[in-house]
Amino acid sequence: MGSYIAKRLLLSVPILLMISFLTFLLINLSPMDPAEVVLRAQEVPEITEELIAKTREELGLNQPFLKQYADWVMACLQLDFGESFVTGQSVWSLISPAFLNTLKLTLVSSIIIIVMSVVLGVVCALNEGKMLDRSVRGVSFFLTAMPSYWLASIMIWYFSVRLDLLPTSGMDSYQSYILPVTVISVSYVGIYFRNVRSSMLGHLHEDYVVYGRACGLPEKKITKHILRNSLQVAVSIFCMAIPIILGSTVVIENVFAWPGLGRLSVKSILSRDFPVIQAYVLILAVAFVLFNTLSDMINAAFNPKLRKEI
Amino acid sequence: MFLCTMALLAGCGETNHENKSASAVQEELIYATAKDIHDMNPHLYTGSMPAQGMVYESLVENTKEGIKPLLAESWDLSEDGRTYTFHLRKDVKFHDGEPFNAEAVKLNIDAVQRNAEKHAWIKLSSKIKNVKVVDEYTVQLILSEAYYPTLVELSMTRPYVFLSPKDFIQGETKDGVNGHNGTGPYKFTEHKIDEYAVFTANEEYWNGAPKIKKITAKVLPAGETTFLAMQKGEVNFVFTDDRGADSIDVQAMNQLIDAGTYQLVRSEAMNTKMIVANSSKSDSPVSETAVREAFWYAIDRETISKDIFEGTEAEANRLFSSNVNYADVELKERGYDPGAAELILEQAGWKKGSGDEARTKSGQQLAMNLYYDSNSSSQKTQAEFIQHALMQIGIKLDIIGEESSSIANRRSTGDYELLFNQTWGLAYDPQSTIAAFTSEASYLHTTKGIAEADHLYDRIQQVMVSTDEEARKALYAEIMRTVHDEAVFIPISSGSVTVLAPKNLKGITFKQTQFELPFEQMYFE
Repeated sequence: MGSYIAKRLLLSVPILLMISFLTFLLINLSPMDPAEVVLRAQEVPEITEELIAKTREELGLNQPFLKQYADWVMACLQLDFGESFVTGQSVWSLISPAFLNTLKLTLVSSIIIIVMSVVLGVVCALNEGKMLDRSVRGVSFFLTAMPSYWLASIMIWYFSVRLDLLPTSGMDSYQSYILPVTVISVSYVGIYFRNVRSSMLGHLHEDYVVYGRACGLPEKKITKHILRNSLQVAVSIFCMAIPIILGSTVVIENVFAWPGLGRLSVKSILSRDFPVIQAYVLILAVAFVLFNTLSDMINAAFNPKLRKEI
Repeated sequence: MFLCTMALLAGCGETNHENKSASAVQEELIYATAKDIHDMNPHLYTGSMPAQGMVYESLVENTKEGIKPLLAESWDLSEDGRTYTFHLRKDVKFHDGEPFNAEAVKLNIDAVQRNAEKHAWIKLSSKIKNVKVVDEYTVQLILSEAYYPTLVELSMTRPYVFLSPKDFIQGETKDGVNGHNGTGPYKFTEHKIDEYAVFTANEEYWNGAPKIKKITAKVLPAGETTFLAMQKGEVNFVFTDDRGADSIDVQAMNQLIDAGTYQLVRSEAMNTKMIVANSSKSDSPVSETAVREAFWYAIDRETISKDIFEGTEAEANRLFSSNVNYADVELKERGYDPGAAELILEQAGWKKGSGDEARTKSGQQLAMNLYYDSNSSSQKTQAEFIQHALMQIGIKLDIIGEESSSIANRRSTGDYELLFNQTWGLAYDPQSTIAAFTSEASYLHTTKGIAEADHLYDRIQQVMVSTDEEARKALYAEIMRTVHDEAVFIPISSGSVTVLAPKNLKGITFKQTQFELPFEQMYFE
C-alpha cells in the first residue's frame, strides 16, 4: 500500500505543474498590457505611458517569460502568491481567510450531504418502488431542479424576513450557517442519494445476498454487508464532492454575502486581479488533484486489485 | 422570476415588518455596499470614496455657494496667482491625537507629489512647485503658473486630504500606511475585509460631534439580498455607488417606499451620461459632423428617461447641465427629431436606396459600432433602443458589450466609433472633463478630428491659467459651444445621487460630488 501511495502522489506532480503553467499563462492571454491592467485595477483616473513603463518595471514584467514563471512557481511553493493588483495586499492574506470561510461552509455541507445521502439512499433502496421511495425521489427531483439562487432568495424571504428566525446574510454566528448550508445540501443530496440507492439496489440482487438469505442470516446482518459494499462506490463520489462544492459556492456566497473564495474569485475576475485569480485556480486545482488521489487511495485500501493498476 | 415570486409572496405578508427597521437601529446607520471599502489610504485610488469622505478632510470645501473654508480658515492669493497662503484652523487634531498643523499639511502634500504619475488626472499635481511652512498654522502652496481650479482640486475627496503623520511609513504613503487617522467627523474603527467596516463618531470633531454615532458599511454583493436585508432592517441605508449604479433596482426601491418604512431622497443632477463620438476616426462616418448631429437628433431621450430609467434620470440635452459652473451658456437646441436627422443625412450626401439596410455615400455604408459596459444593464437597454431608432433613419449600428476596463482602453487608444461615458460630475466639472479633452488617456481622440481642434485646445490651455473671471466665462462658453456644435459628446441623461433611508432620518443633504455623502449632518427624529 505504501508504494501505491508514493506512486499515486508522484503522478500528480506533472499534472500540478501543467496546471501551474496554464495558470501563469493567464496574465499573458489578456489583450491588455498587464501593467495597464494593474493600473486600471487600482482605478488610477488617468493612465500615462510613463506610468505604464514604471509599473512594468516594478512588476518585473521586463524579465524573460520563463524566468518570470520560474520565480512565480518558487514563490507559490512558499505560499507567496504575490500582491493583489487592486489592493496591493499579499494575495495569501486575502485568499487564506476566504478559503477558510468557504472551507467551513463546505465541510459542514459535506457532512450533511454524506449523512443525508446515505440515510435517504438506504431507506429508498430498502423500500424500492414503494410510496416512500417514490415520494423522496419526486421531492428531490423538484428541489435539485430549482436554481439555487432562487431557492436561496425564497428561503431568506421566508425564514429571515417573514418569520424573523435567521439572519439574511453574513457569517456572524452559527445561525448564519443554516440557510446557506441548507441550500447547498439540498442540491447535492438530491444527486448523491441516487448513487447510494442504485449502488445498494445493485448489491441487493447479488449472489452473496441470496446465499446469505438462503443460509438464514438475519436481515439486519445482510443489510450491513450490502451497505458496506455499496458505500465503496459512494466513497469516491463523496471525496470529489468536497472540491466540487469548494469551487461552486459563487452563487451561494453572493446571495448570502459570505466572504469566501467564490466571491473573491468573481471580484478578482471582474477587476482582472490576476495574482488572486492565479492563486484561486491553483488552490482549486490542488484540491481536485488531492481529493482525487485520496479517493483512489481509499478505494485501493478497500480493493487490493486496484493497487496493481499503476 | 425572482421578482415575480417576491411580488407574489409579498402580497401575503407585508404588515409584519413595518417600522421595524427604523425602531431597531436609532443611533446607527448600516449601509449596504456591493464592494468592500478596500484600502483607505487617502492618497491612492482604491478606497471607497464615501468612506474616505467620512474620515479625511481637505483644506477647503466645494459647496453650492462656491469654495468655503474647511481645515483652512482663510487663504490669500498672490497677485501673480501663483502663491496660495492658507491660514489653518488651530483647534484640529487627527484621530490619534496628533495636532493638525502646517508641518502635517506639507508632509501630506509632499507625499502626494512624490507619487505624481498616479495623479496625472488632477492637473494641480503638475503645477505644485513647493509647499512652504510659514509658521505653525500658516502654509504656502507655490505653483509653477497661475491655475484657477486650484481650490476646487484641493477640495476633492482625494488625493489632497490629510493623514496623521504617525501613519506615514518612512515619510511616504505611496506604498501603504500604518493607520487611517484623518481629521474628519468619523473615525475608522473596524474592518473585516468583504464583510463590514465600522466608523464611529469623532466626539472631538472641531465642527461638533456628529449625531449618528455609528456607521457600518456592510458588504452585500447581491441586490436581492440587500432588498431583503432592508425589509428585515438588518441594513437601513443605501445610496448610489461610485459608478452611479443603484445597488437595488427601481422596483425594489419603490416597494420599500410603498411599505412606509423608507424614504427616497434624490440630489440635483450631478453628472451627464452620454455617448462619446470619435471624431478622429477618419475612415468612419462618425468623423462627419453631419452624421454625429443626425445621431443626436435621432435619440428619444424622453422615452429613455421614462421607460428605461423609470424617471430616475432626467433627459440631458447638453454636455453640462446648467447648474455646472460656467455652463449656463446658450447652445443650439437639438431635441428628438428624426425628420431633421434624415434631412441632415440627405444633405450630407448619405442616400437611402430602396431595400438597402443602411444609407450609403460613395459606396460606403453608414454603419458604426457602439460599445457599452457589459456590466451595466441600463446601458445595454439604451444601446438596443438607440440601435432600433437609428435603423429607422438608415444608420446601421452594431452594439458591443465589453468590460469597463476594456472600454477605457478603447477610449485611450482611439479604437472606437461610439461609446458610453459620463462626465466627472459637479465638483469636477467643467474643468476636469474639459481638461480631459486634451488628454490622450481620455477624450483626445474624441475631439481631435473636429475642424477647430487646435483652436479648441488653445482655448482650454488659456482657460486653465486665466485669472480673470470674465475672460474665463467667455473662454468656457466658446469651448462648450464648439464641442456642442460638433456633436462629439452626445448627451443622454443626467445622473444624480439616490439615497434610500429610514423615514425618520433627517438632515440628508448632498455634497457637490456624486462620490460622497455628508453623514455628519444626518440625525434621527
